[in-house]
Amino acid sequence: MATGADQFVGMGLVGFSLLLFTYYTLWVIILPFVDSDHLIHNYFLPREYSVILPGVAALFLVLCVGTFIAVVTWRNRKPKKVE
Amino acid sequence: MTKLLEWLLGVSLIGVAWGLVTFDLLDLRLPPVYREVAWPMPVYLLVAFGCYSLATVGFRVATFNDCEDAAKELQAQIKEAKEDLRKKGLKM
Repeated sequence: MATGADQFVGMGLVGFSLLLFTYYTLWVIILPFVDSDHLIHNYFLPREYSVILPGVAALFLVLCVGTFIAVVTWRNRKPKKVE
Repeated sequence: MTKLLEWLLGVSLIGVAWGLVTFDLLDLRLPPVYREVAWPMPVYLLVAFGCYSLATVGFRVATFNDCEDAAKELQAQIKEAKEDLRKKGLKM
């Protein structure tokens, strides 16, 4: 078995993804079937955000990857030719 | 039929079904609750797949066996290689 930090980080990732999956499933699938005056709706943003937030996150990820590639390519440029 | 064609066919069938429900193209007049659940489905499936991937990676990181001997051997080999290259004139 892996030790120490590896186990901690690994199980942390598992816990985080379980939490995210549960919250998102409740938001997208369960909430429409719950009466609109139930208290649980206070813990969730309006429905549109369930599509907007992942979309923005994906865009941000693509931006980060693109920036990284651009920076690395810029740093490795040689005068007159690109290797 | 190639695997690619099979996948494309399956994905387009599901996509058409989703489009029919979300945009009510056949005027089925389903109860609004089902339309509410259907329209975020593509994003939902993507997020669910992302969560599954993250959980799998995390779990495998946590359960991977440490290989003490292999690690030591690898470190020794790296040192040896660096020495060898330095002697041959490579500046590190």
